[in-house]
This record gives sequence, C-alpha cells and structure tokens, in this order.
Amino acid sequence: MKFFENKFTYDYSFPAVSLAYFLRYPNPYSRHVLTTDVIDRYVDPNTHRLHTTRLHLKKSKVPSGILKLLPKGMVDPTEGWMETESRNMEWTGILSVVEKQHYQRILTDENIQALDGLSIDQKSEQTTVRTTVTFRSRLGQGKFLSRKKAGFDNAEAEEEEPKRGFFSSLSTAGIQRTIELIGVKRTRDAVLKSKQGMNVVLERLRSGGIVGVLEGMREDREAAFGPEGPWKRVWLQGNGRSIEDDDK
Amino acid sequence: MAASIAPECNEIKERYDTCFLKWYSENDHRADSNPEYLRGNTTSNECEELFTKYKKCLNKVLKERGIDTMLEDARKSSSETDSEFLRKS
Repeated sequence: MKFFENKFTYDYSFPAVSLAYFLRYPNPYSRHVLTTDVIDRYVDPNTHRLHTTRLHLKKSKVPSGILKLLPKGMVDPTEGWMETESRNMEWTGILSVVEKQHYQRILTDENIQALDGLSIDQKSEQTTVRTTVTFRSRLGQGKFLSRKKAGFDNAEAEEEEPKRGFFSSLSTAGIQRTIELIGVKRTRDAVLKSKQGMNVVLERLRSGGIVGVLEGMREDREAAFGPEGPWKRVWLQGNGRSIEDDDK
Repeated sequence: MAASIAPECNEIKERYDTCFLKWYSENDHRADSNPEYLRGNTTSNECEELFTKYKKCLNKVLKERGIDTMLEDARKSSSETDSEFLRKS
C-alpha cells in the first residue's frame, strides 16, 4: 500500500470553495472529465449536512480508455468544513485508488464572523484542503484467493507455479509496488491540475459570480469538445463501446 | 454545466443543476424567497421535483447500460474495504 498527502490553502472563503467544488467541471484543466451526474443528494435532517454522491466519467490512458468514478461529498455549512471521497469503480484488483479531501475554513481572530452572514466573495477568508490518496494493488492475489475459496489442493497448485507468465521474474509484491508507484506519480500531476482548475473557477466566481462561472464553462466545453458536447464524440465515434464492454 | 452520461438527460440536468446552485448559494433576498443553504436554509425541497425528473431520466439510461448494478457493487465493495481497513487499524 502507498500513500500520497498534500496540503494546500485557497485564498477564498469556505462558501466560495465549496461552491467551486460543485461547479468545477468543465474547466481548462479538466479536459479528461467527460461527464458528471448526481446519483444521490440529501440534507441529513439531524446534522443539516449536505450529502452528495456523483458519477464521473474520465478519460484515462491506463488501464482502459474510460474510467468511472464515484465521488461522495459531505458539507457542514455551520462548522465550515467539507469532506470528499472518490474511488475508482473498475480495475480495483489491479489498482484501487481512494482519494479523500478535507476542506476547512481557517478561523483567525479577525474573522470570527458566522458563516451564515458571509458573502461568497469575502476577500479576507482562506480555506485549507488536505488531500490523502491511498493506493492498493491486489494484482496476483486473485488467483490464490479463488483457489482457496474453491478448496483446491494447494500442493498440486504450487506445482504449476513455474509456468507463470511474463511477470515471472518479479515477485507479486514487487509488481504491486510498481503499479502503486505509477499511481502515486500520476496522482501528483492530477492533484496539481485539480488545484489549478479550482483556482480558475474561484477566480471566475469572484469576478463574475455564478453567471461568470457558467459563461466560462460554456467556452471551456466548446474548446474541449466542440459545440455538441463530449458525449457526441464519446458515443458516436465508438468509444462508447468500450464502456459497454467494461460492463460485461 | 458539465454534461450528463446520458445525452437525453442533459436538458433536465442543466435545469436541476441551476436550481441546486441557487438553493446552495445564490437566492435573491426578496421577502418571499428562502435564504440559501449556506446561510442556514437546510430544507432541500426547493429542487426536489427537478431532481426526481432528472433521476428518472438518468436511472433509465444507467439501467439500459448495466451501470446500475455496477454502482451497487461499487457501494457494496467500498463498505467492505472500509471495514477491512478498520479491522487492520
């Protein structure tokens, strides 16, 4: 198992940052994000926290063309924090990536104003975000586990071991470590891009409000996918097939 | 607004998203309108009707493509991994 950790401070208020989180796609750094949908959303009647589960489709070079992600988020508007979690839905045996983020309003002596009186563009406020990503590969373990479940004779199974495929020179742990490290490296870039994207959205929010963000989105979407939107390209040019294949 | 996985749901999704954003942060402050969620309005009924329509449209497509069972599996396995992690720590 590998971990990645990062802490970052936005020079924007918590209401603005949490709004930008919901509004962040598309932005100029999110060309790989094809679609986002809200699967579930409710306000907990006891805690008054807002829960949201979404479904994202993202382009990815490995291991398949398109990945489905299931991000969940929880906002506490009175305490000024938000927690999010995102994990890949497929290929979890090869590499399971779980990203958790904790957004927190920074309280100083000068800004003790309650959040419910705060406007979105409050300039003196800051929000920190702590990102933790866990990488876990189970590659090479599946066969062993299924054998154990089926009650196969272990001694007989061991006999076949030398015939293993092209990874034979590496230990299972070594392969897993290599895959996990590739994940860490890619995540470093992805976290940076996501920060840049959030900052673009926050800047648009400050200068033009929600209308400004929506206007920027329209431009980004056309620049990235053309006026028809992303699905036209994905579904009509055959990439959609790979999604259906994944589901088998 | 970001596109939906189901092109036929884009229009209703856009209407729902817009409603949600207003409810979350940008209601106007006339006497007859509620404050936003961020300012203490924690009743979520305002966009409920649009969300129901959007979900109905989306669920149909997710079912057709078999993504609905996949979502269920992902939720199940995510709670399994969580309990696995908890046992370890």
